[in-house]
Amino acid sequence: MAGGGATREVRIEAGRGCLIGQFSAMASPCEILVETSDVDEARQLSELAAAEAWRVEDKFSRYAKDNIIARINSAAGDSIDVDAETASLLDFGNTLYELSDGRFDITSGVLREVWTFDGGDRLPSKEAVKSVLLRVGWHRVDWQSPTLRMEVGMEIDFGGIGKEYTVDRVARQLREASTSSALVNFGGDLAVTRPPTQRHGWHVGIETVSAQGPPAEKVIELRAGALATSGDARRFLLRGGIRYSHILDPRSGWPVKRAPHSITVAADTCTQAGMLSTLAMLEGASAELFLRAEGVRHWCRR
Amino acid sequence: MNRTRLGFVALIATMACGCASMGVEPWERDILAKDEMQLTTDPIEAGTDDHIYFSKEASSGGRGFGGGGCGCN
Amino acid sequence: MKKRNTQSVSTALAAATCTLLGSGAPVPVQAQEDPAWNFNTALLYYGEDNSRVNDYSFSILANRLFVDDRVLSMGLTLDTLTGATPNGAIRQDVPQTFTRPSGNAVYTVPAGELPLDDTFHDTRAALTVGWEQPLGRLWKGGVGFSGSKEFDYLHLGINGNIARDFNKRNTTLSAGVSLSRDTWDPVGGAPIPFAPMLDVGATGNKLGTENKDILDIVLGVTQVVSRRMIVQLNYSFSDNSGYLTDPYKFLSLVDGATGDTLTRTPAPGAAGPSHEFRFENRPQARTKHSLYGQTKYYMNGKVLDASYRYMTDDWEIDSHTVDVRLRWPLGESSYLEPHFRFYTQTAADFYRISLVDGVELPAYASSDYRLGEFDATTAGLKFGWKTGSGNEMSVRVETYQQNGTIPPQLLIGNQIGRETYPDLDALIVQFSYRFSR
Repeated sequence: MAGGGATREVRIEAGRGCLIGQFSAMASPCEILVETSDVDEARQLSELAAAEAWRVEDKFSRYAKDNIIARINSAAGDSIDVDAETASLLDFGNTLYELSDGRFDITSGVLREVWTFDGGDRLPSKEAVKSVLLRVGWHRVDWQSPTLRMEVGMEIDFGGIGKEYTVDRVARQLREASTSSALVNFGGDLAVTRPPTQRHGWHVGIETVSAQGPPAEKVIELRAGALATSGDARRFLLRGGIRYSHILDPRSGWPVKRAPHSITVAADTCTQAGMLSTLAMLEGASAELFLRAEGVRHWCRR
Repeated sequence: MNRTRLGFVALIATMACGCASMGVEPWERDILAKDEMQLTTDPIEAGTDDHIYFSKEASSGGRGFGGGGCGCN
Repeated sequence: MKKRNTQSVSTALAAATCTLLGSGAPVPVQAQEDPAWNFNTALLYYGEDNSRVNDYSFSILANRLFVDDRVLSMGLTLDTLTGATPNGAIRQDVPQTFTRPSGNAVYTVPAGELPLDDTFHDTRAALTVGWEQPLGRLWKGGVGFSGSKEFDYLHLGINGNIARDFNKRNTTLSAGVSLSRDTWDPVGGAPIPFAPMLDVGATGNKLGTENKDILDIVLGVTQVVSRRMIVQLNYSFSDNSGYLTDPYKFLSLVDGATGDTLTRTPAPGAAGPSHEFRFENRPQARTKHSLYGQTKYYMNGKVLDASYRYMTDDWEIDSHTVDVRLRWPLGESSYLEPHFRFYTQTAADFYRISLVDGVELPAYASSDYRLGEFDATTAGLKFGWKTGSGNEMSVRVETYQQNGTIPPQLLIGNQIGRETYPDLDALIVQFSYRFSR
């Protein structure tokens, strides 16, 4: 998660049949669409959402100098005791690591040191990747809640689950705060707090992310639950006609081959949706097969 | 005829103003959102009936206006 | 992925997420693609008894939904009409012969029978196109085009409407206007008003094509009354001008004492009418006002739809319409809907049974039973169900009956007791199918 940069203010705008609270968090434009005509209610809910988003961002951003992540990543082999929330995220990361046979790994953040996905064609050397890979691997981490000890040079990065986790937390808080239906949308990862009453569902547009042809939009009606999208959008490398998606396989240090351009998954929570879309991406060519076998509602763009 | 016409319009105006306090909150519109609670549930059936009755009777419309006339009345 | 067990990933993930978020079981997701196209198709049969009108029609209505609640709608209807319709003449105790509208042939009606003309075998095609979209947060507007063509009739029209929500969208005010230009090109030409029916081949009594212009304005308010009830009230104004007469209908010219139709003999060697008939003539203008109210009321799964319409015009016709439907769900995916409609109208001030010989002609006259005084009752039942793929089908069967009265003062001499209103008895059967793509 990136930090700082954008100003921290909440703006309220009128939507159609709803009011929209807008702010920036986690390097994404965030909006809370509330099915209400009461501006005070919309502002109250949006500020609640923004406060939680900024709290999580500050707490887990790897750019901050003094938060829990900074302390963990500069521990240099020492043990660190973490708080309950961090512990639950580490537990989750652990479960996901085992569930995915190592394809999802919260220690894989360091790979960004050798990979820059800017649409260009510069691939790192095999040696560079090999040497960074020595610092990747959840199996190398000693995690006995609440104590964490990692080898020197390793880092924890919650970037792969942070946004979806925050969307779910915000959705729950907004559901408890108001009987109005709201759609929480953090840059395309979204969740509905409760079923809307003035429409069949919140209308969400999914953009096709294809290099050829004009962008098209499919409209999905979301009445309950969440949507999350994994996609390469503008983050990829192109060399020798092969597209290297920015989804890296932590076991090899190299991008997944033949992954779809984008996968959108619908699930009960944004966290589940996000994880399923990431896991599906990591399947590469078998992404759709995986999602179909799991019985998960999805839309892939190849 | 003028009196009746004025009467109709006045009735609608009154309804519109007098209704400022009637209604439900946005979150209470679940039943109203159902397909079977729409004012016209079956547009083809409404259109067919309008056409049949326009051809066999001297009155027409009311709900809105239909798709046009025919050489039958 | 080497799966330990194909189903375990999402299940295990659900459990892990539950632990992470610390809340109870989440509400199951409900996400579906908005279908871009919605289709509504129907096949209809309408049949009157006594070899009168039969109509078969096929309709299709397609809606294309775009992002942001914009809708393109297109409708097409094809129908073919056969059968006979009363031509306006009274019964006689002797056979009667009439010249067909084309002027090329004659037809004969047996003694004692209501004269019906079965010339009409017509096919009609009608097309509508409409566009609707929101205009800002609380406004909505639409425009449309309609056209239809039959062998002898053309209709062209445009319409527009606008609506605005108030009061947390509990109240909606709407206004609509529609303009039509219709053209009659009757078989054989439009008759000169009150011209006599002539022998085969004689055309001195006919003109060419005629036009009719219609302006319709509708003002309405829709109000949410409660969580279970919504009400709509509309006022409509309609201004018709131009050729409003039915070019194929005429009246019998009768003797002032006996009430019997005067006889005539066709010219030597020609075929022609056996009696004297005069083509009808209606005013060139008609203004109508209607007040329409409808309510939908939800009662524990059942929906009541009740409406009332009052119409009055400057032809002295007043009508009342009461329409009631009750949708009765049967289980999860089907329903039964009984329907009852009652209609009553008074006669136009120029409605009469016949024209009297030797008396000055009235300004306007028509014996078209549809302008007379009658009650009509519709009773029907509709059964609808959802198919396995989520599409809807329904079938409805209805009977429509008209029972009229002829005011005694319109009957002369032998007409009393012999002339009765041409009561109508019709069956309506419709099958429809709705699906989305």
